[in-house]
Parts: sequence; structure tokens; C-alpha cells
Amino acid sequence: MGPTLLNYRPWRGEFHAPAWSFWPIARVALSMMFRRKLFWAIYAFGLLSFLVFFFGQYLLAWADSQAEGEYVNVMGSRLQAGTLTNQLRTVMRLNGTGETYRNFFAYQGYMVMIVLALAGTMVVGNDFQHRSLPFYLSKPLSPWHYLMGKCLAVAVFVNLMTTLPAVILFFQYRTLYSWGYLPDELSLLVGILGYGLVLTVFLSLTLVAVACWLRKTVPLIMVWTTMFFMMRPLSNTLVDGLRYDPRWRLIDLWNNTYLMGNYFLGLHPANQPEWYEAALVLALVCALCLSYLTLRIRAVEIVR
Amino acid sequence: MLIDLQHVSRSYGTFEALKDVTLQLEPGRIGLLGPNGAGKSTLLKILMGLLPPSSGSGRVLNYDLAQGGTALRRAIGYMPEADALVPGLRGAEYVALAGELYGMPRRQAQRRAHEVLTCLEMEDARYRLLEEYSTGMKQRLKLAQALVHDPPVLLLDEPTSGLDPAGRTSLLKLLLTLGQEHGKSLILSTHLLGDVERVCETVVILHQGQVLRHGNVQELRTHRQDRYRLQIQGDPTAFLEELRLEGVRVIHDNGRGDLRVTVPQGWLTRAFFAMADNHGIVLRGMQRDDEELEELFHRVVSGDRNQESGVRSQEPGDRKQEPGVRGQDAP
Repeated sequence: MGPTLLNYRPWRGEFHAPAWSFWPIARVALSMMFRRKLFWAIYAFGLLSFLVFFFGQYLLAWADSQAEGEYVNVMGSRLQAGTLTNQLRTVMRLNGTGETYRNFFAYQGYMVMIVLALAGTMVVGNDFQHRSLPFYLSKPLSPWHYLMGKCLAVAVFVNLMTTLPAVILFFQYRTLYSWGYLPDELSLLVGILGYGLVLTVFLSLTLVAVACWLRKTVPLIMVWTTMFFMMRPLSNTLVDGLRYDPRWRLIDLWNNTYLMGNYFLGLHPANQPEWYEAALVLALVCALCLSYLTLRIRAVEIVR
Repeated sequence: MLIDLQHVSRSYGTFEALKDVTLQLEPGRIGLLGPNGAGKSTLLKILMGLLPPSSGSGRVLNYDLAQGGTALRRAIGYMPEADALVPGLRGAEYVALAGELYGMPRRQAQRRAHEVLTCLEMEDARYRLLEEYSTGMKQRLKLAQALVHDPPVLLLDEPTSGLDPAGRTSLLKLLLTLGQEHGKSLILSTHLLGDVERVCETVVILHQGQVLRHGNVQELRTHRQDRYRLQIQGDPTAFLEELRLEGVRVIHDNGRGDLRVTVPQGWLTRAFFAMADNHGIVLRGMQRDDEELEELFHRVVSGDRNQESGVRSQEPGDRKQEPGVRGQDAP
């Protein structure tokens, strides 16, 4: 005997506007990632650099306030506390300035890249491979709602890995020491948020576009690695080795986000292109991704 | 009015997929029939507001096709032909997500998902991963996600695709119940004439982008005066021989006592009983053999060709494959 629908009841309620669908789409994409143990392993590994910065700042404050002039044991060797604090400040740049957060973003970014390469298939590629797109696009949404939902998922993840820990480090330093001149502190905080915003927009659009294009994990990792990791040695060889114009570094997209971050944090690294040149390249890549996505995700594909 | 299309055309470059379609359909159970390339998919896209017509205008549930996009899709529950599942989700999560995407608040979507799955007798499978569902369960799950927001119209694209006979019967019964007892309008796009015959009261026949015929299935069928279906019990040899001698032509005999015959003009039905009695045959059933949907379809599509040239009926077990209208399988 089959279903009888005896208990079927009508539903009468108020519908939300289509814009509310961003979050359910993003939530489901994130839950796909959070259900993988591999994700948690990489996430935990990625947070190691945060912990190094976090406890580094704590150690610095402790050495400054309680061990001044004394000798401390660090990994079996006796060091003067002053030497230790000097090392932490100058080498690791744990000085609460823009350099601290720029370095944190740069280190953390590598882990973000690795996780995103693995997550791209889960977040977007599977929708194409398993033909889930008709499920989404037959609902009262436009393709843009779908795209924005997916980008939001990537954005949440990127910010969980970068901006949020950086903001925690910012407040931790100010809690351990003292607040400086408020406009300077605010400008630094805005710089952190700006760097996070650049990473969020650029990485989410790029990942969604690349995942729509390649769909499967292995090709996605290969292209992603080429885009963000292989360009670094190539641009370094061209500029530092062969003495080409520093603008050749613009082929390194990850370096472009780094330059934008430097701009937001008020820093000016040497032998690098200008920030606006990097911004132009990133904007161009984002525009290309948007154009591709516009063509690729069309609601009419849902009925074949 | 459920559908009101006025001179709707749709072109892809130089190819005209829909040609000047004018169609008015009242709410009910509607079957959309047509071979591949007839324009069914284009019509579905237009009805869902996903594709604007190249020319003409139309309304579905009083929503303008050109402007009603998202509001129109909210009034429609779409069950796609493709699997369209989100791997990694569980049944209840999938249906609740559909509810949220239709615009339902999250808690209500979750509650409603459980309700609908229970109604479709999937309460035991609610927490299973979608990848573990059988084909029949996937089809029911797709129906659940189309029903979750209780739309007035269900648009079903090949709903019985890939189902075994039992699963197919079960799903068709569900659809019929939804239409008859819960007042849902169904638009069933399929190439399986049997599905339309079992569920729909109205049929739209599309061919080469044009609506060839639409209306009530019973009214569209030719009511024949000269053809009967007989159900007999006993050795039919002598009975059949006498029928032949009297000018009755047996056009189909399934060998299990079901016959379709053509009688000469002026034939009296009581003659069947007299002959059966003469040869020790039990005549268990006799009914007028009006045109079947399959015959209607082929007659309409091929321009009223002679239907008596051996069109086989859709008796259970009489064939291995359901008669369809995909491709060029018209006789």
C-alpha cells in the first residue's frame, strides 16, 4: 500500500523576500564543509599560526612586565628577557602595528588557500556534478541569489580564518598593553577589516568561478595551486633574478592581495608595484569571474 | 484561470521553439504531451517565468509571465526530471532547505518538511543521507520538496522516470490524490501516455512548437460505435471462428481472454452473448472500445491517420515497454 496523504495539511504563512535565501544557501554549503573531519584537521592546523601570534603577544607582555633584566629558559637555552622581547618585536613583528596583522594575514592566507582548494568542490562543484542546480534555481530566486549565497559561505570561512583572529589579536594587544591614540587605533582596525574585505571578495568570487568551471577536486586544486602558489616563484625569478620591472609581480594574485593589505594597513613594501596597480588586476580578475558566472549559471538550464 | 497564453512564440536564433501558442486552461490535472523537440521544455520554462516569450503575452495564476518571475515560481512547486539532490544532506534537511528557499521561515520550513515527509510515508527515511535513497524514494523526496510550501500548482517533469511498476503506480496514485482531494493543479510533462491517462483530465498535445489539440481527454477521444472490448473465459477457438463468419474482425487478442473487435454495421451486442452461449464461453465483460489516449495522440500528431492498422493497447503485461512519444516512435 502506498502513501495516502490522509494527514496532508495546507500551509498558510508569510513568505520572506528572496534576499533571505542567501543565508540558507550559505549555511548548507558551510555545513557540507563542517561535516568533514579533514576540514577540522586543516582548520586546526591553520589556527596554529593564530596561536603562535596569540601566545607570542602574551609572552611578550609577560617578559616585559615580569621578567625584565632576568634570564629565562627558552627551549633549553638561557636567554636574557630583553633579548627575547627584542626578538619577538623585531623578527616576528609582534609589536601591535600594521606589520603584525599583515604578517598574520599572509601566514594564515596559505592555510586558507589550501582549505579553499579542497572546499571548492564541496561548496560549488558538487552542485554541477550532482545536478543540484535545478533544485536551487527552480525556487523563487535569481541566479545571483544562488551565487551570493555560495560566495557568502566562502566569505564566512575566509573571515573565520583571517579577519576574526586578526581582530582578536588586535584587541588582545591593546588589552595587554594600552590603547594608543584613538584615531590611529581605529585606522589600524579599519585596515584589518579592509584587508579581510579584499580577501573575502576576491577569494569568494574566484573560488566560486573556478569551482563552477572545474567542478572536480583534483583539477581544482591544480589550477588553484598554479594561480596562487606557482606564480610567486615565477614572479620572484623575473623581478629579483632577471631584474625585470617590479610590475611583473602583478601576475602573482596572492601578492596583489598582500599589496592591498599593505595599503589598508598603511605600509609600503619595497620593490613592489603600486597598490592601485594590484587593485586594478584584482578588479579585472573579479570582473572576469563575474562575467563567467553570469554566462555559466543561467536559470533556464533547470528544464532540459 | 490557471494558464492564459496569447500568441506566445519563442525563438532561439532562427529556430522557433514555440509558434504562436494560444492556450487557456482552467485549474485541474493537465498532461503536457509531445515528442522530443515539440517545445515542452520551452513551454515549461516560460510557464515558470524563467524564459520570457519572444512575442505574445500570458498569465499563469494571474501572474504576468514577463514580470511575475520569482512570485510566479513561489506559486509553483517544481519537481525536476533530474535528480537535483544536494549530496551530504539528509531527507528532512533537504525538504526544509527547499521550504526556506521558497521563502518560508526556518522553523516553519523544518516543521513542514517533517509533516510532508510523514504524509509521503518517508518518516523512517527522514534522517538518511540523500545518497542512500532508492530511485522511488528520490522521486517522492522531489515531490516533497515541491509540496513543502503548499503551492496551488505542481509542475512535474517526468515524475515516474526510472521507477519500477509498483513505484510508478504508487506515485501516480499520490498525484491523483493531490489533484482530486487536495485541490492541487498538476501540470504533468511526460512522454509516458499511460501516466497522463491515469492522472490527467486535460491534455495539451504539442508538436513542432504548436498546440495541436487541447481539452478534456474524454471529449477529445473519438467515441466509436463499432469497436468493443470483450473479456471471455473458456476455449475461444470456436467462438472466434463464428465471430469471423459473422463479419466481426478481431484486431487484438492477448491470449488471456481479452479481445478487441470491430463489428459490422447494424451489429447487435446481444449477439455476443448468444454466440458465447453456443460455444460454452463465459462472457465476463463487454464495453465499447473508445479511442485510447495513445491513439488520440498519434491521430492528432500524424494528422488523423487510420488508427485501425494494428495499434496495440496498453494492457498490463501485454508489452514490456510503456508506449511513449519520445522521438520518432509514433507509428
